[in-house]
Amino acid sequence: MNFTLFDLKIIEYSFFITAILVIMIGLYGALVKKSLIKVVIGLSVFDSGINLLLISVGYITSGTAPIFSPALVKDMPLTLENIKKLSAGMVDPVPQALVLTAIVIGFGVTAVALSLVIRLYRHHQTLNIDEIKNLKW
Amino acid sequence: MVGSPVLFIAVPLLAAFLIPLLGMIWKESIRILPGLVLLYMLVLAVTLLGQVMHTGTIVEIIAGWKPPWGINLVFSPFTGVLATLMIGMGFIIWIYSYRFKNVDFEEAKKYFILFMMLVTGSVGIVLTGDIFNQFVFIEITSISAYALTAFYKHRDSAEASFKYLMIGSLSSMFLLLAIILIYSQLGTLNMADIASKAHLMKPEFKILAVIFFIVGLGIEAEIFPLNGWAPDAYAQAPGPVGAAFAGIVVKAGVYALIRIIFTLFDVSGTHQFLIVIGLTTLIISEMAAIRQERLKRMLAYSSLGQMGLVLVAFGIGTEEGIFAALFLLINHAIGKSLLFLSGSYLVYNSADKYINETNGMGKFLPITSFLFALGALAVVGMPPFSGFWGKFFMMSAAAHANMLLVIALILSVSLIELVYYFRVVNRIYFYKKESHIEPKKPTVNAVIAMVTLGVIILVIGFYPDVISGYLHQASQALLDKGKYIQDVLSTGQLLTH
Repeated sequence: MNFTLFDLKIIEYSFFITAILVIMIGLYGALVKKSLIKVVIGLSVFDSGINLLLISVGYITSGTAPIFSPALVKDMPLTLENIKKLSAGMVDPVPQALVLTAIVIGFGVTAVALSLVIRLYRHHQTLNIDEIKNLKW
Repeated sequence: MVGSPVLFIAVPLLAAFLIPLLGMIWKESIRILPGLVLLYMLVLAVTLLGQVMHTGTIVEIIAGWKPPWGINLVFSPFTGVLATLMIGMGFIIWIYSYRFKNVDFEEAKKYFILFMMLVTGSVGIVLTGDIFNQFVFIEITSISAYALTAFYKHRDSAEASFKYLMIGSLSSMFLLLAIILIYSQLGTLNMADIASKAHLMKPEFKILAVIFFIVGLGIEAEIFPLNGWAPDAYAQAPGPVGAAFAGIVVKAGVYALIRIIFTLFDVSGTHQFLIVIGLTTLIISEMAAIRQERLKRMLAYSSLGQMGLVLVAFGIGTEEGIFAALFLLINHAIGKSLLFLSGSYLVYNSADKYINETNGMGKFLPITSFLFALGALAVVGMPPFSGFWGKFFMMSAAAHANMLLVIALILSVSLIELVYYFRVVNRIYFYKKESHIEPKKPTVNAVIAMVTLGVIILVIGFYPDVISGYLHQASQALLDKGKYIQDVLSTGQLLTH
């Protein structure tokens, strides 16, 4: 495949733009919707947007996986210079590790949120956030 | 060496997950194990603290990755003092809640697991030297805090907990955004490394990162516009959990905020920001506290106000100010926990926990009422008690920094505090008991825990020197940024195999 420099820029930025759009949609859902389930969904979408943003920070267009396999290294001696040269075309592994952790945390938070929604529904017989206001003063 | 800082995280985490297994074999073990673990941690913390005061910061490297890349734990005088305080409070709250849910095994099991997770997370926030690791610990703390808030099924606890969860998880996403921003700019997650490279960051990115951090951490530190969840959560959670929030979780949040502002970035104006936001929190919370009709909500608002006071003291920024802030922090942990613990016995059997239901309790619950009054005196800052020294040191720090308006505001707010605390104490001692609510006698272990806290208040009140030596070193350690960076980064070079 042949990309011009302009195409590459568009691909690179499109990740950020998509991520920020997803974040905005999630934020809208979490802050504006009246149904508790939709609020939780919004929270979860927001979470995914952040993860996408985090992943795209470490992304390199047409980069490879950050693994030093024998086929990649071939007969090169592993000096610092060679390692630098090889790793220049690799995506950054740290954001991926962070995202894995963040996904697990997001899963935990969503699970707790949904169990609270079940508890709220049993207590109030409604999912409308406007009708749950025992704690307002 | 008796042990290393990693045990503060590994041991309670292991214990938390061993509780259900051991509970299958011997039911009493779920109550005993957390206490043994916390006692061990307390002994270890005090030993390490004594050692750190003489030989300097202990930096522990996890899994053999050197500091700029791997995760490291920093046990400096500053983090050590806070970790010791949290573990000590955890131990006392364990004594108090030893008989918690005595008849209901399943509920007690959940409580102790979550409580251990809460302590693990909070101690982890304080000890870690890696910013993403800190995020993970913040999430561990918050998720167990959400669950503990929703502990009672019959109250409105699910509503309080959902509120807390919404604001908490949204803000933690902002924390993650700040971490992304720093990583994309500097390519590092280690706090010391970030601090040494912070000047390379573009100023607009730096300010954005600081703002995201303040939003993300302000939830746990309970600064003003972000603390709407706190009164509900404190009031709906079980008594010991309220005490744990005031004594452990908030301390971790304040630590994280202070570490970001003092060590990571040197953005100008953040100290003034701390003072302004602290004073706003203080004034608004105390005004809200005075018009509360329910005891626990009043205590919660007072807790927010106290944290505002601590932030103002940190914001003064001199060594004296930080010393006063730490003193206030310790006083708040002890005094407010005592108030929560004794207060929840004063309104034990009442459904709505109104303040006027404590009328005349002084006759029926003499020890609890006396300790409540003692806690109130300590928090307000009456002379022979620990709170007096905190406020006194803070006034003198503010006077030396020429902040006379701050002094005036703090004194007038103290007056408000005096009014609403003594409204309650007055009702306890000088009103006649009208309601038919049966007073609940505290259990023996609860009395032991509360009396311990009361004794600590008196000891610190009469001999502030028992802790001031540690606190002086701690405040120097916080201010000496260069030494922190050097300590962390040079260990990495020393241990290159």
